[in-house]
Amino acid sequence: MQNKSTYLGTIQDVNGTTVSVTLANESLSGLTYVNGEGYRIGQIGSFVKIPIGYIDLFGIVTQVGASAVPENQVQNQPYGNRWLTIQLVGEGQRNGKFERGISQYPTIGDEVHLVSESDLKRIYGQPDKPYFVKVGHIAGAESISALVDVNKLVTRHSAVVGTTGSGKSTTVAGILSALSDSKNYPSARIIILDIHGEYGQAFRGKANIFKVNANKDSKGQEKELCIPYWALNFNELTQVCFGDFSTEKEKEKSALIERVLAQKEKTLFTYPRKGVIKETLSVDSPIPFSLNQLWFELWNETFFTFYSDKGKRPLKENWAYEQDEDGNKLIGDATTATPPRFKPVKNVKEDEEKIQYGPSTLNIRGQLETLGSKLRIPRYDFLFHPGKFTPELDGNVESDLDSLLKEWIGSDKPITILDLSGVPIDILNTIVGVLLRVLYEALFWSRRLSQGGRHRPLLVVMEEAHNYLNDNFKGIASSVVQRIVKEGRKYGIGAMIVSQRPSEINSTILSQCGTFFAMRLANATDRGHISAALPDNLDGLTNMLPILRTGEAIIVGESVKLPMRTIIEAPPKDRRPDSQDPIVFDETPTEDSLQPGGWGIPMESNPNYEEILEVWRAQNPFPARIIKEKK
Amino acid sequence: MKRTPVDSSNISSIGYDEESNTLEVEFHSGAVYQYFDVPLNVYQGIIEASSKGQYLAQHIKGYYRFVKV
Repeated sequence: MQNKSTYLGTIQDVNGTTVSVTLANESLSGLTYVNGEGYRIGQIGSFVKIPIGYIDLFGIVTQVGASAVPENQVQNQPYGNRWLTIQLVGEGQRNGKFERGISQYPTIGDEVHLVSESDLKRIYGQPDKPYFVKVGHIAGAESISALVDVNKLVTRHSAVVGTTGSGKSTTVAGILSALSDSKNYPSARIIILDIHGEYGQAFRGKANIFKVNANKDSKGQEKELCIPYWALNFNELTQVCFGDFSTEKEKEKSALIERVLAQKEKTLFTYPRKGVIKETLSVDSPIPFSLNQLWFELWNETFFTFYSDKGKRPLKENWAYEQDEDGNKLIGDATTATPPRFKPVKNVKEDEEKIQYGPSTLNIRGQLETLGSKLRIPRYDFLFHPGKFTPELDGNVESDLDSLLKEWIGSDKPITILDLSGVPIDILNTIVGVLLRVLYEALFWSRRLSQGGRHRPLLVVMEEAHNYLNDNFKGIASSVVQRIVKEGRKYGIGAMIVSQRPSEINSTILSQCGTFFAMRLANATDRGHISAALPDNLDGLTNMLPILRTGEAIIVGESVKLPMRTIIEAPPKDRRPDSQDPIVFDETPTEDSLQPGGWGIPMESNPNYEEILEVWRAQNPFPARIIKEKK
Repeated sequence: MKRTPVDSSNISSIGYDEESNTLEVEFHSGAVYQYFDVPLNVYQGIIEASSKGQYLAQHIKGYYRFVKV
């Protein structure tokens, strides 16, 4: 051998991609020197190479010692328990490029060699191509950058998983700040679904922030997040309006379809729009219509009672409205979603006045009541009263969807943060679902345009994904994301799924992720889920997950040449996501501490709980007492 | 509020609003806090103190309520 010092041992057994090796007797110390640098022998997760002829095969050490001994060899051990198990991963031409997959197998007696830093450089080291983005460096070899192929990272989807505190958010921030570098990628397009409002700080200046219940005092940094209901298709619309429609209600459903269609037609007649005419209009077309109006009409028809004495017919002039104290009929109001009040049914022998139920055949009373309350409470305003996108009763809107899309994915900033921290958890699923749906639909149809998904792909980062991509929720979010991960690749929508609880994420979604950034993950169920979803069959690597250091990740999958254990390069301190845990007792002495609170500091003598109530009622974490910038 | 940069181990700048007696402190981490109802003499105290961090710990932390802005 040209470089005897790298010699580790000899192959004794080849079984598929698993290779058993006996360590050479000489390398007893466990430490060897190659070109003056020390290497530990038999580190789990380290690489080895097997030179055969003109090519080198590469493998990863997954097992060392007694349990790596083949069963029939246990009795008869020439070298003690000095065995290694290796998983083959790829091959490289001598001094050439490294490729995934192997063209020939090694055989008994082939030599196994240590992979030195110069070999690693060959495997990982990429020429300075702009489509590789540096996310950190290889653990144990600081000079080698960990490079990720942007093409595969974005469109083949990725997942970032790790226990709380393993450095997930910082990793995501690190990756995204590399991706949003305007020098390399002047038209990068990234949307972050920021469940905890962590990223605003990290990407200030680089990102637009949209938020439900935006802080109006933020000098325009935060804009109101609006998702017009009329951009949804019919199924999703009924889901957000009424909850689940049972299957028996086919008749009601088709009646609703006709109503929605009629409303959209009406709008289109008064306010024609490019791209759709009456003949091509469908119930799913994103045409504004007034849901209040639709609800009001349906309510009237379903709930009305009428004077039926003297053979009166159920015409509108015979409707039996209740009256208020001044004798005004309570006819309700569509704009404010106030329902009309009708008199109860009356059929008394002596009384001439008879009142009957109207002849409505639609059994949707419960649904109408649900929708009515949703239209009235402010919590759903982002959807049902979406600011300038709210249709008037005749379907007129101040702004159309184009300006919404332009704000979200067409601004001059590479990143858009959709801050969902103000959203109650029970409607989170709906919000995520509808907004992804709007984006998907827009990018799907615009696939031939320069701003469409094919020519300017979009990366959607889904933080805390287990909250809304859960198997248990039959929610809209999960089904939209399934569609994105299955088909998004062709239309230029990539997903990056971030979660601390991968076992709760729908397994279809996880299995479609081409690249995994697996951080420390202690829970066995979660780990099992990840190893099942990993594109590479490398048990040894997933066994390493519980002992990774904070900020360390194993990157596996399509966007990297080889699985790599990487120290992720964290962004500068003031550019990190704001997800630090509250400090209970600060370890630094108070005079140097950057924390104003904690259990170690006496509390103020007259604590002000009125402000606590104030911010709760205002649903805004900033009390009015804060002094703002003077204009 | 206008803050003046200061030389300290943990504080990077300090500001004060006399009308509302609000003291604003920016730490080196970039986090900004407003302390409410802080008298002017305490503000003058911290500005003149040789160790701002120590003054903050001894005279402000635990006495005045604050909010992260």
